[in-house]
Amino acid sequence: MRQITTDVLVIGGGATGLGVLRDLSMRGIRAVLVEKGDLTHGTSGRYHGLLHSGGRYVVKDPQSATECARENEILRKIMPGCIEDTGGFFVVTPADDEAYAERFVAACHATEVPVDEISVREALRREPLLNPRISRVFTVCDAAADSFLAARCHAEDARQRGAQVFTYHYVKSLIVEQQRVQGAICEDLRTGEDVHIHAAYVVNAAGAWAGKIAELANVKVTVVPGKGTMIAMNHRVLNTVVNRCKMPADGDIIVPIRTVAVIGTTDVHVPDPDVYGITQEEVAQMLEEGEWLVPGISKARVLRAWAGVRPLYKDHDVASDRDISRTYKLLDHEQRDGVAGLISIVGGKWTTYRLMAEEATDAVAAKLGVSAPCRTHLEPLPEIASARDSASRRLERDPRAPTYFWMGQPLARVEAADTYGELICECELVTRERVVTAITEGHAANLDDLRRETRLGMGPCQGGFCTYRAVALWNEVAPPQANNSAVGDVLALANSGALLRHFLQERWKGLTAITWGDQLRQTRLDELIFLDTLGVDLLPHDEGQQPADSLVTDHPSIATEYHAS
Amino acid sequence: MRDTIVIGAGLAGLMGALTLAEAGRAPLLLAKGLGATHWTSGTIDIWGKHAAASPRAEIAELIAKQPSHPFAKIGLEGISNALERFRALMADAHYPYVGSIERNLLLPTALGALRPAALVPTTMIGGDMSHAKDDGRITLIAGFRELGDFFPPLVAANLSAQGIPARGVYLHLPPIKRKLSFDSRVFAQLFDDAAFREEIGRQLRLMKGEATRIGLPAVLGLKDPVGVVRELQHLSGAQVFEIPTLPPSVPGIRLYRIFRRAIQQAGGRLQIGAEVLRGESEGKQLRAVFTAAAAREQEHRANAFLLATGGVAGGGIRTDHTGAVWETALDLPLRAPDSRGGWFHGRYFAEGGHPIFQVAVATDAQLRPLDANDQPIYHNVAVAGSTIANFDPIRARCYSGLAITSGWYAGTLLAQQ
Repeated sequence: MRQITTDVLVIGGGATGLGVLRDLSMRGIRAVLVEKGDLTHGTSGRYHGLLHSGGRYVVKDPQSATECARENEILRKIMPGCIEDTGGFFVVTPADDEAYAERFVAACHATEVPVDEISVREALRREPLLNPRISRVFTVCDAAADSFLAARCHAEDARQRGAQVFTYHYVKSLIVEQQRVQGAICEDLRTGEDVHIHAAYVVNAAGAWAGKIAELANVKVTVVPGKGTMIAMNHRVLNTVVNRCKMPADGDIIVPIRTVAVIGTTDVHVPDPDVYGITQEEVAQMLEEGEWLVPGISKARVLRAWAGVRPLYKDHDVASDRDISRTYKLLDHEQRDGVAGLISIVGGKWTTYRLMAEEATDAVAAKLGVSAPCRTHLEPLPEIASARDSASRRLERDPRAPTYFWMGQPLARVEAADTYGELICECELVTRERVVTAITEGHAANLDDLRRETRLGMGPCQGGFCTYRAVALWNEVAPPQANNSAVGDVLALANSGALLRHFLQERWKGLTAITWGDQLRQTRLDELIFLDTLGVDLLPHDEGQQPADSLVTDHPSIATEYHAS
Repeated sequence: MRDTIVIGAGLAGLMGALTLAEAGRAPLLLAKGLGATHWTSGTIDIWGKHAAASPRAEIAELIAKQPSHPFAKIGLEGISNALERFRALMADAHYPYVGSIERNLLLPTALGALRPAALVPTTMIGGDMSHAKDDGRITLIAGFRELGDFFPPLVAANLSAQGIPARGVYLHLPPIKRKLSFDSRVFAQLFDDAAFREEIGRQLRLMKGEATRIGLPAVLGLKDPVGVVRELQHLSGAQVFEIPTLPPSVPGIRLYRIFRRAIQQAGGRLQIGAEVLRGESEGKQLRAVFTAAAAREQEHRANAFLLATGGVAGGGIRTDHTGAVWETALDLPLRAPDSRGGWFHGRYFAEGGHPIFQVAVATDAQLRPLDANDQPIYHNVAVAGSTIANFDPIRARCYSGLAITSGWYAGTLLAQQ
């Protein structure tokens, strides 16, 4: 049993929790963050990657729109390397109500969301695959964000300021004494060891899981897990984020992210944030809706489907989950429920995570008597080692190098360093150096973590080739710890076999709802590679045996159950 | 007009075309592109499900229990004849195969797993680990950092964990002029160069230590791989063997080239880049097939046709988002799940594989395609390879064996017509 004492314990390793952690540490408050999975294991790692301009909410949810617009401007300044400045369109398609456009423009002005109108001709010049039958086009400041990278930058910055981050630490119970939360008892899922974390204050930033955490203090927080399903297409059909100019609904947005385009999203209430599936109907619906924006998109290959759960906070009775405000709420449980030492920061969205963190940190700082003001909107985030390689460091010295992420950047890095032969993932241009750094200096516990850290396997082949290479590098640079070589070899076997089996099974969940046509063929090629040529299934393994300790994502506390559908 | 037409350039189509050519039936082979040869390991696997020790015993049992199984139609004698013909072809091309249907060999994969195979090129036979747990030998696995699809330490670690003492090392790539990137093909070309071989042989001798056999990635030349292995054995003083790597597969390329030359020499012709889109029939006779061409469809008439376009991987069976599943060349009826909901198991490693990969054209004993009432659709068409696999040939570990034997059998039947 480990004992840790700190000022503030933050629960949740998503955008909000990490934002709070950084803010606390910038104000000189000691803080510890626990996350039951890897960083961004939850919703922050499972959304479409949109940095909102606010445009989607101007009519329905004006407060949220204004928050998004303000934060958009700030995030562009503090983390340009995590953002690709794609810009955004709101387009009126033949299926949309023309009258909404006028309300949209008026609402943009009212909510201070910057908007301009351009001609359809100009829009088609910029985006030739856009539906030519659109009647009006408005431009906004939407962008594509790399939430994986952003999370890691936050964690790194907070660590440098003395904060601690514990991933794969599952909160079993809160320490409550005399109506005051004094910390939490966590289980380190890698070792099975209990960790007691004593803190003067606990911030519940568990997103869709916030209700479950609050329950541990006998406090009721109603979070409605709103499942949003997204699908990634194998072509970057657009370079601009394109929204339908209408009330937000299912399948009305396409976000270009790196080499793919993401169609989003659905909104389905699910009873439990850990139990949901992706149905073929949802996928079909999104492809159908996507046709209004880019005719023919449904004929392209769907690479992957995934779903995240929106952490919608239900204040009072609302009819539809889409009607729940996308804004956030700070709950001081001392005032609200008579339980001191705990606050919950619920609701909100990725774009407003910093603002949420600021408000939560203000509240905690006031309780602790710390008067230092928030500076997260002023100080840019540092870059982290695993996101950069020697080539990029050389590139960054070029004063002409753009500050935002741009599509040609990974290739430019490879060219600058002449490292073609060093590519482990050709789709996402991930070099050997970056994979090795992520394994040795990062905190990846399995290939899925490695994917979040480096984007390995996120391109068109979905890991068909690079996965074997990554497992082999893993074996080389992080050999299992053991006292004698015989035991070490057994661990090596367990590791490489289990890493591959885990990866293939995880990937399978995202494939079954979207696999047909060429993608089905690719899947069969992958079977030829993994089963026929490599014989993954032939490596000795024991079905009932617990996987090697590095494979904690199979732990029942954090595994997501998908319904077969 | 041609006498016979073969559709598909995978192992089934190539073996079928060779059989027809040698019977004097001058086949024209039409294919959209190269077949799965370039994706697979180059061994001939007859049956390896559940690490079966003897393919012959398993097939005999299969024939007794499942008369509709493709191997039951070919029969044990047919399988043996097909393998003998294949073996003779490869021996003539100075790329002999060894092994038999009686006993599976166990070859290490690029992951260090032990994979059953019935026939293997002699370049791989040194890797047979059937008795390696007690033969007291030490194995060295060697590769190149520049070859991103082969990692000696991983292979060695997993072999050691299975009780086979092994060590993995990286060799130093001699200074060479070319290349931004290296794949298996580039390395195969390097091994065709004498000076390169000499340098690698020298390094192997220095690094081998107590090892008496050395595993290298299967990139040991395209021109004379057997000669390359012999030379490396001589230079290193140890047995040398190849381990198949990820695509593109050099052993697969060798197979394709040997078949192509043999088919052409026997009077056949190959037209790659000609996708068969449809057929035209008169009664129960297929009269012609049509390929995609720049201006208009091109018509190819023949007396008999061999369809070997593969399954989902080869491109012979396609699917779409509505759940439709169809055979691409002749639109033959398939027995497929009713909707996409029935295509997959929830578990990737599900025993027996996923239903969508078991969709096949039903055939009679002469491998003629059948309609829904089990009546032959065409009398002059035979179907071979994965297209007729009503089971998952990858998981049964007979992908290449089914192709070779059914291709030979279909060619033999058509040649008799």
